[in-house]
Amino acid sequence: MTSSIVMSGVVKRFGRRTALDGLDLEVATGEVHGFLGPNGAGKSTSIRVLLGQIRADAGRTELLGGDPWRDAVALHRRLAYVPGEVALWPSLTGGEAIDLLGRLRGGVDPVRRRELTELFELDPTVRMRAYSKGNRQKVALVAALAADTELLLLDEPTSGLDPLMEAVFTECIRQVAAQGRTVLLSSHILAEVEALCDRVTIVRGGRQVRSGTLDELRGRTRTSVRLQVADDDAATALVGELDATDGVHDVDRDGARVRFQVDGDRLPDLLESLGRHRVHALTAHPPTLEDLFLREYGGVR
Amino acid sequence: MTGAWQLARAGLRAERVRLAVWALAVWLITAGSVSSESQVFGTAAARAARAELIRSPAATALAGPGYGLDDYTLGAMVANELLGWVALPVALMSAFLAVRQLRGAEESGSMELVRAAPVGRAAPVPAALTVVLIADVVIGAGLVVVLIAGGLPLPGALAFGAGAAGVGLVFGALGAGAAQLTARARTASASAAALVGVGYLLRAVGDVRAPESGSVLSWLSPFGWAQAARAWVGERWWPLLLLPAAALCCAGIAGRVAARRDLGSALVPDRPGRSTASPRLRGLFAVTVRRQGGSVLAWTLGAAALCALVGVLARQVLDFVAEQPDLARILSAGGSGPATDPVFARYLVLATCLAAAAGVSGTAALHGEELIGRAGHVLAGPVARVRWLLPQLAVPVLGSALVLVTGGLSMGLAAAGTLDDPGQIPHLTAAALVNLPVVWLLTGLTALLVGAAPRWLAVGWAYLGYVALTGLLAGLLPDGADALSVLRLMPSLPGDPMAWTPVLVCGAAAVALVGGGVWGLRRRDLVA
Repeated sequence: MTSSIVMSGVVKRFGRRTALDGLDLEVATGEVHGFLGPNGAGKSTSIRVLLGQIRADAGRTELLGGDPWRDAVALHRRLAYVPGEVALWPSLTGGEAIDLLGRLRGGVDPVRRRELTELFELDPTVRMRAYSKGNRQKVALVAALAADTELLLLDEPTSGLDPLMEAVFTECIRQVAAQGRTVLLSSHILAEVEALCDRVTIVRGGRQVRSGTLDELRGRTRTSVRLQVADDDAATALVGELDATDGVHDVDRDGARVRFQVDGDRLPDLLESLGRHRVHALTAHPPTLEDLFLREYGGVR
Repeated sequence: MTGAWQLARAGLRAERVRLAVWALAVWLITAGSVSSESQVFGTAAARAARAELIRSPAATALAGPGYGLDDYTLGAMVANELLGWVALPVALMSAFLAVRQLRGAEESGSMELVRAAPVGRAAPVPAALTVVLIADVVIGAGLVVVLIAGGLPLPGALAFGAGAAGVGLVFGALGAGAAQLTARARTASASAAALVGVGYLLRAVGDVRAPESGSVLSWLSPFGWAQAARAWVGERWWPLLLLPAAALCCAGIAGRVAARRDLGSALVPDRPGRSTASPRLRGLFAVTVRRQGGSVLAWTLGAAALCALVGVLARQVLDFVAEQPDLARILSAGGSGPATDPVFARYLVLATCLAAAAGVSGTAALHGEELIGRAGHVLAGPVARVRWLLPQLAVPVLGSALVLVTGGLSMGLAAAGTLDDPGQIPHLTAAALVNLPVVWLLTGLTALLVGAAPRWLAVGWAYLGYVALTGLLAGLLPDGADALSVLRLMPSLPGDPMAWTPVLVCGAAAVALVGGGVWGLRRRDLVA
């Protein structure tokens, strides 16, 4: 397995503020990699380092086998970028901006451009200053996806898009992934990350806190269980038993309804013991990315 | 009108630093000019000689209607020669302020938030003009203090201060009107600045055609009304009343339009544009031409109009000098050329400063490209930083040259017409061209700052201001005030003999500065 992006121990300071504090990030070639973290965690700073727009103070960064600062132009031929805040020339129309960005990289495939414009339902005759946020985002997406590059760096690319367009975006990225291209997707829309990403890296305070496949990350976390038993007495008995069980947390009871969480690896044993109670209804769901996220970010739950 | 007062207070708070800088600059220029005028023209005889010089049409165009020339007291001199130039920045400040508060806020979206609060549809215009009013009154009051401190009597100082403040108020209200016309703050600011220019030009032409506000043209301009108040020459107060009256009219119209139209709309609406880019929109040079073309054109037209005016007046200058042998000697001291040459040289300095301002502002705008994140987006493509900077820099570099050459050419054309001497065309165009390295040096300095030290961008503007001030007020300022000005090193053409060394050195320095900008940009982190 080769890597398209390797950052190890990257440090970047802005004056007294440390934006990246020994950040590690590895993106394998051909994967869609989710890049998660609260605001100010260093996601955009990492992407700016990868784009050679700022130079890291320490650490090693390798992008597509090159040095992102020294080989910026050569590397940028092989990647496309979508920022979270699109500020293209206000007096140009969306269509003109797409063409201009394309011409700066040596030309744009008119067929692909038209396909994408139609797919995202973008009106290319409107001036950039008159677009809504979501429509400005579409312009950057069309420009980036129309360029046939081996790597896509996406920094919250769907902010402001409606759910319909988000689905279009998800479909586009699936196609990109199917072609074996690599994607680094920084996003706060966890459903999107869950649907698209093979692996995710969670950062906080300029450092990596977790990295792995979603299944790996889930294994570390608890399953939420909700169930309903026959009556209050049955519930009281169950709660008493749960409280005494290892690996069960946050037991909460409301009449005959009981909610709790259980460590992933204790779930089979627990289900066996639940069989002895008269359970009327039960839902159990694995931790969503949101649960993971809240746990890693907030340090609570 | 609900919320207008709170809105005005918020506006004042947001603008306080910028307004303080404008106010301080206006007061300092006034204080400095008054003190140097009182020193240089300390005696009645000196002032009488000055009055003779000022009677010339070219000087009248840049001074005032000439009240009190027969008994040219210090007050008459300050009112005649300074009031227009003090009212000019106050007018620009007020117009830009109104546009920023209204169309700027609307374009950036902050007005949307404000109007979502319990703020009336009719509130923003009166609120913005209240900010203008307060700023102008403060500046006017400060002027009164400065003038009295300079030893001038109170009534005239009041007329002077009220005149400058009133001109500001009128153009502030016109700015509020311009803000209703277009959806873009930049276009609105440019139209407002053009109105200021037209106002100044009307009074210039009017005063040249008939002294002492005798021409109807002078009465079409707010500058003319302020000067017609005859500060220190037997004040006449009623023309000053025209200023608030006109401001109120304009404000009323702007307010009505603003209250009736949709938020974000404009009287001149956006049309849909092209869905694909034309083949000519090939790269960053082309897009910068599109973005900056309008302002380059505005600078060019301004310079052309001003220079043509000077050229048209060439005949009167000659006649005037012929009647004044003493003056002829002073003017042509050190040179043997025709008497018009030193006058043309003085005004070519003005054209040079206008061209440099065009170059500096166009170059400084490139830092805006970086701040807003556009540079980051473009540089994420296969675009080297040199290839980002140089094509965009080429626009202000070529644009400033266009402003300067057009200025020289139009002065030459007009002078050729009035003097019946076609030789003036190449003569004055070439003389203007000699200052091109100065223009590029100032543009290059700004390019260096944009590339290497964007935090110090204001230094580029400050040096331009210094060069312009010392160049335009040469003779009024104390000796050595222009010691650091690059203009001092250049031959003053036409009139002086040509000297190639400073021209070439200056050009080489400009190239080096741009090189330094490229060097710095390649080494530093992008700001955003």
